[in-house]
Amino acid sequence: MAAIAQVKSRRPSLQLPVWKALLLSLPMLLISSFLWVPNLSGAGDSLALIAGIIALLGINTIFFFMLYTGKTDRYRAVMFIIIAIALPMDFIPWMIKTYGSMMLTDEIVYSGGASFCPLTMPMILIPALVKRVIIFPGELLPTMAHGAFSLMFIIWVAASLSVGMGWCSWVCLYGGWDEFFSRLRRKPLIKNIDRRWIYLPFGMLLAIVVLSAITFTPIYCEWFCPFKIATEFQAPVNLLTSIQVGIFVVLFIGLVVVLPILTRRRVQCGLFCPFGALQSFLNKINIFEVRVDLDKCSECKQCLRTCPTFSLDESSLKSGKTLITCTKCSKCIDGCPKGAAYYHIKGTSLKASPQTARILFVYAGFVLMLIFGGEIVNALYRIFKLITTGSML
Amino acid sequence: MKYIKSFLGYSIAVVCILISIMVGPMIGLLAEPFIKTTGLRLSPNYDGGEVRQTIDHAAYQTLVHRMVFDNTLIGERKEGFVQVEWAPLAALPAHIDEEVDVNGDNQADFRLVVDTANKQSVLTPYSSWVQELEGTYRFKNSMAVRVRLKNPAR
Amino acid sequence: MIQGFLLGLANGTTCLVFCIPVLVPFLLGEGKSVPNNLVTLSKFLGGRLGGYLLFGLLAWATGNFLSGAAGLQIPAYAIAYIGLAILLLTVGLRAPAPPASACVVKSAPAALRRWPALLPFGMGFLAGLKICPPMLLAFTGAANSGSLLGSLLLFLAFFLGTSIYFIPLSFLGAFARLPDLRIVGRFAAVIVALYYLFSGILMFAGGV
Repeated sequence: MAAIAQVKSRRPSLQLPVWKALLLSLPMLLISSFLWVPNLSGAGDSLALIAGIIALLGINTIFFFMLYTGKTDRYRAVMFIIIAIALPMDFIPWMIKTYGSMMLTDEIVYSGGASFCPLTMPMILIPALVKRVIIFPGELLPTMAHGAFSLMFIIWVAASLSVGMGWCSWVCLYGGWDEFFSRLRRKPLIKNIDRRWIYLPFGMLLAIVVLSAITFTPIYCEWFCPFKIATEFQAPVNLLTSIQVGIFVVLFIGLVVVLPILTRRRVQCGLFCPFGALQSFLNKINIFEVRVDLDKCSECKQCLRTCPTFSLDESSLKSGKTLITCTKCSKCIDGCPKGAAYYHIKGTSLKASPQTARILFVYAGFVLMLIFGGEIVNALYRIFKLITTGSML
Repeated sequence: MKYIKSFLGYSIAVVCILISIMVGPMIGLLAEPFIKTTGLRLSPNYDGGEVRQTIDHAAYQTLVHRMVFDNTLIGERKEGFVQVEWAPLAALPAHIDEEVDVNGDNQADFRLVVDTANKQSVLTPYSSWVQELEGTYRFKNSMAVRVRLKNPAR
Repeated sequence: MIQGFLLGLANGTTCLVFCIPVLVPFLLGEGKSVPNNLVTLSKFLGGRLGGYLLFGLLAWATGNFLSGAAGLQIPAYAIAYIGLAILLLTVGLRAPAPPASACVVKSAPAALRRWPALLPFGMGFLAGLKICPPMLLAFTGAANSGSLLGSLLLFLAFFLGTSIYFIPLSFLGAFARLPDLRIVGRFAAVIVALYYLFSGILMFAGGV
């Protein structure tokens, strides 16, 4: 134990001096204020303003500690989990207030009232290209629903350019659930997972893209998405829709709750989600990546054992790289006893400052978190409403 | 060359941060031009397709959408539907009794009797390819009925 | 046609799995350059296309027969869907090597060996004739199309969709990625199988 402590204390750290961390946090304070304050000042409700100020201070504190401690993954995960929990706390009351329940009826579907989710992107692309139609019962422009296609599409393109596969650890509205349950146990109960399962998201991607194009319906949304439990789902009015509800409940419990607890890995994200598979292809055009310095690496394989999305294997480690499924969560970077793993900007020297690359990437990722991070403000506001009026609606 | 690549790398990284910052404020400005330029529209399976015919009544209108047999194929499905809508909701009478021509041949293809208060409808088909009633729906500003059809062209 | 192409794209890895035991030893055994491999591959694919078009003709004839027997239509398509699902599940859940009996090409007729230039064409033709899961899928789609031209075009598009996966073979270096591709294909086969199994059962049940 003493030896481990000694090694850990010798480990090169990404920690910053307080003054430097404060200085580097200031732009984030300005950016977050610039992005959020216009919405808050238009709210016209003092509770909303208080919720906004608390959220603003909270996220900037998280960002400061992320820079100061050098522990990117720990603080990223906190923010990621908070956003995932905030989403249903805001979305479900909104559904109940607008439609009377969180269940989608045919009337809501045929009036384009379903909220558009970014996870539908793989399915809608071919029909959109071939027939210029969007095969999802949502709005194209934001008028009524919580999220419109045009907004989600633009966010998706921007995030893909900016952070690539980093979407899955920095932007995704749902990944925080997987992240949360994967951190509950100190040690995994299931350690050996057949590596062939990492191909399931790609098989899923192929299958849903083709089936959606053939059937003209969003197959993943109708049959496979476990996160409908946190947002909206088709009302179980007949055998078919009842089966669909049963499937997503089972998938949520299995892939998002039980297996992440048992394996300490993000099973839904790493072994099932087809959107992640799509993002991993787009990752090729992203400037940020995670590398391993082979001079420092002691081949302890701690990173292989802990990577939440199975994005490191023996051969990739030997070449000092991660697999295309790397979500740039920084768990390997923070956990490496030799400080061998690091963020890197493509084109720059492999010996270039890892701290610079880390700060630049963390800025890109954290700012994108703020887009959906608005859910934190809404969720806080609803909690205050619950306390003061007895209702979250 | 090494320095050029390095310079480009850092520059693109900074651009990535700028994209992240600007996407929020720019969404509102980009959304409408994006939809207009691309000509994207909602699948007719959801919005009922384009309105083919509008029939004026005293206080309300009947909107007969086109028959929908859409597919990603070049071609049509064997089965589909047609949506008939009445708007505005507030001006609708308690009962609507209307014969509808969906294929534009000036011959009624079916008759609909709609109880707008109770959201109930009765369908009387006149053509063999008119199958059954799918459902009666009350939207924000209109009432609609979907009728299942067999594709008369197939 | 787009449906045929997409079906081919979705299931092309399965076609690759069935055809590789035949084609790859041939290409490796010949030990020729990439351009020569491309020529051989083209002949093989040409033969496959011939087999597929013949299948398209059969599919149209079957569809024609069924359209005159209205009571048989739905059960026939339901059985086809369920049969397809079972075949796809077999591909997805068992080991990649196909059973010898499923691959007709293994016993290339002696006549072909007399004309070496025709050998890849003949192998491809026979490979195109065997009933692997993607073929059954395309068969049901083609039988449903109602016209001979539609049926042939669907199989042509299906052939194009599957052939994309064969192109890297001419470089042989693509072997390094093949195990990954096969696993992805197997997973996709199982998922598509579940969809068609459910659709077939629904057809029998007369909907929900």
